[in-house]
Amino acid sequence: MPSRGSISAILLEAVVVVVVAAGFGFATNALSPKGLNLERDYFPKATNTVGSARQTPESVAVHPASTNENSEVAEIDRRIKDKGLQPIDRAETEKLFHDPRYQQGLLVFIDARDDTHYTEGHVPGAYKLDRYHPEKDLPADLNPCDFAEQVVVYCTGGECEDAEYAALLLRDAGVPIQKLFVYGGGFDEWATNHLPLEQGARGSGVAPAEGK
Amino acid sequence: MNEPSAKAVDFATVAARWFLGALFVYTGLEKGLDPVSFLKLVRQYDLVQTPFLLNSIAATLPWFEVFCGLLLLAGIAVRGTALTLVAVLIPFTAVVWHRALVLQGARAIPFCAVKFDCGCGIGEEFICHKLLENAGLILASLWLLGGRGRILSLRYSLSPQS
Repeated sequence: MPSRGSISAILLEAVVVVVVAAGFGFATNALSPKGLNLERDYFPKATNTVGSARQTPESVAVHPASTNENSEVAEIDRRIKDKGLQPIDRAETEKLFHDPRYQQGLLVFIDARDDTHYTEGHVPGAYKLDRYHPEKDLPADLNPCDFAEQVVVYCTGGECEDAEYAALLLRDAGVPIQKLFVYGGGFDEWATNHLPLEQGARGSGVAPAEGK
Repeated sequence: MNEPSAKAVDFATVAARWFLGALFVYTGLEKGLDPVSFLKLVRQYDLVQTPFLLNSIAATLPWFEVFCGLLLLAGIAVRGTALTLVAVLIPFTAVVWHRALVLQGARAIPFCAVKFDCGCGIGEEFICHKLLENAGLILASLWLLGGRGRILSLRYSLSPQS
């Protein structure tokens, strides 16, 4: 059994360990290129800014996912709408992808996953927006988003909320929210349905190898 | 305790220290090298509302673990580090337990069938397995507090008297 003196020595030692380890943690985060910005709100609170726009017949027509069949899709749609954004389903996203306006830059796809996932495969022609490090991508994304009539943002899909927060980031950067659509099924759904993919940089035209 | 069994206890304590140290370095690096994923996992617990606090936990905790792991591997401030780990592991275990109860309620499944990524650095795991594992880690840390196994330590205690 440690003596009273040694108990205080252990407590003091623990305090020293905590202070130095915390300092080490903050310093490593500051030095790491993947480090987090401690001041940034990565999960801003929802603001229902689209409001009545979601209720128009036109918006309902564009977002058939709002009359979805299964509860998972309904849950994703609800989550997207709670953030004041407009959900869009796979069929509509696919239609937009094949729309000639996509080639003209009037429709823009934004991939909100990280660099590694983007490089492994993305919707052909999609711009990259790593929302955790927006300073890298946002400046290059804003011009095409300003020019576009509609912007479709996606991430992995399912529980991934990065597309929604990336859309909010674009909204905060000045892209009108009425232009922004979130594809809740995301990349996983797109890839599972064997829709076109592109590997590497945007516009590389390289399709991922079969089975990837 | 006779000398051979005392030696065996010392070596077992050193082995426990190295095991704990290596485990914390590994799990800390798993999280620290992908802070964004860890941030998302920490957020699921809904522990703090302030972005700065949430970001600070996600950004520093993994490296905090790595640092403690390195101290144990090297044998520096062993008992202080072990006490720190106990102080960290107990609330973490409670938080993970609570999260599992929430998931159990939402999924309407038996408690031990709850499987999720608790942000502990080893991916998805069944909750009962995770709780047993944490109990083992807490016991091992408490064992180190006992002060045995001072061999193969760079500076077992920071205090000059010890």
